[in-house]
Amino acid sequence: MFFHIVLERNMQLHPRHFGPHLRDKLVAKLMKDVEGTCSGRHGFVVAITGVEDVGKGLIREGTGFVTFPVKYQCVVFRPFKGEILEAVVTMVNKMGFFAEAGPVQIFVSNHLIPDDMEFQSGDVPNYTTSDGSVKIQKESEVRLKIIGTRVDATEIFCIGTIKDDYLGIISDPGAAS
Amino acid sequence: MSGRGGKGFYSTPDGNYHSTRTGTPNGRQSPVDIIPISDSESESEDYFEETSTHSKSNGKAHSKPNGKASSDSLKTGGKTSSFSEGLMGSGKGGKGSASFSVGKGGKGSASNAKPAKSDPELKLELDMPPNSRILMDCEAAEMLQQIHEHMAILSEDPKIKIPESFDKAFQYAKEGNHFTTAKSVKQILEPLKKYGVTDGEICMIANIGPETIEEVYALVPSLKATKELNESLVTEALDALANIKASK
Repeated sequence: MFFHIVLERNMQLHPRHFGPHLRDKLVAKLMKDVEGTCSGRHGFVVAITGVEDVGKGLIREGTGFVTFPVKYQCVVFRPFKGEILEAVVTMVNKMGFFAEAGPVQIFVSNHLIPDDMEFQSGDVPNYTTSDGSVKIQKESEVRLKIIGTRVDATEIFCIGTIKDDYLGIISDPGAAS
Repeated sequence: MSGRGGKGFYSTPDGNYHSTRTGTPNGRQSPVDIIPISDSESESEDYFEETSTHSKSNGKAHSKPNGKASSDSLKTGGKTSSFSEGLMGSGKGGKGSASFSVGKGGKGSASNAKPAKSDPELKLELDMPPNSRILMDCEAAEMLQQIHEHMAILSEDPKIKIPESFDKAFQYAKEGNHFTTAKSVKQILEPLKKYGVTDGEICMIANIGPETIEEVYALVPSLKATKELNESLVTEALDALANIKASK
């Protein structure tokens, strides 16, 4: 799920950047440092939408670097347990399949795939129902529910399930639309 | 991660609910602190606990009493399938569920006094900073579109690299977007807030784009708790959303 939040960060700037464009340089450095990163608490920082406030800089003793506290608004993406997502399958193997929803990777174990779907190996590994009517393979779109998230300092990894009502394949790349 | 009953709560054999903090020997519930839980395992809806890492089972009212509902496959309407039954299967498989806590097989539970809370809601309260605003996928898509237009100018400078996660998130928001404009979606779903539907639940409805009320209740089980209040409103909202979808 996307959120629009206000975060704060202490930015260090080298004295060579001081001058009339100090603020622009600070914002550029902020964007370079923060956009694209992931924190366990807030999720993936997708984009910075604005800088709210730049506090007074504090000169660090001994180095000459100046630390500015910067408050900024950003769009973050963070998955939660119980959330329903539409994801695209990226890899299928006999343990289950991996899918991607935005920047988040989700793994769906074969234990959380309906029992009537079986793994078929081959050039295009897939999970297929016994009557062949439903097939989950690479590039398939599936709707899944997140049942667990593991967060560490820089990454969020999710486990999902499609073994529930109204979950499963949305579109099959092989099928005619 | 506990799979049963959670930390600090237990139920006595006579069916009363106790918190270990305020458990009384005569079985009476404390009026203030106690948070009643059912003696089934699908408790994540019922109680609020900071360290809870339970995944969501498909809700108490949803599971059949014997917990053996057939496990339906994909996107079938109407039937209840017990998510927990699949987990029993995974339990038998002996792996997979160890580090990702999921509720054990449901037994069909007694009703709970406290309104159910969904996991996103719990997490929202716990983890996201208080000044955060939840965004629907359509809102996020519009925001990211504007940023993308700025970035297109910036990307001509070879020194500036657009982060990969921005592209992925932007694609995801665009493709997942079922509706024409975020404003119209907001106008339709905003009134639900007055009837106890939370921001998180509204966003889930907008992101999923459900077609029927049963789908909503299956995928957002916390709404079932206030079903009497919100059923007709949600049905109306779904009809209105269907009109916007159709015009896309």
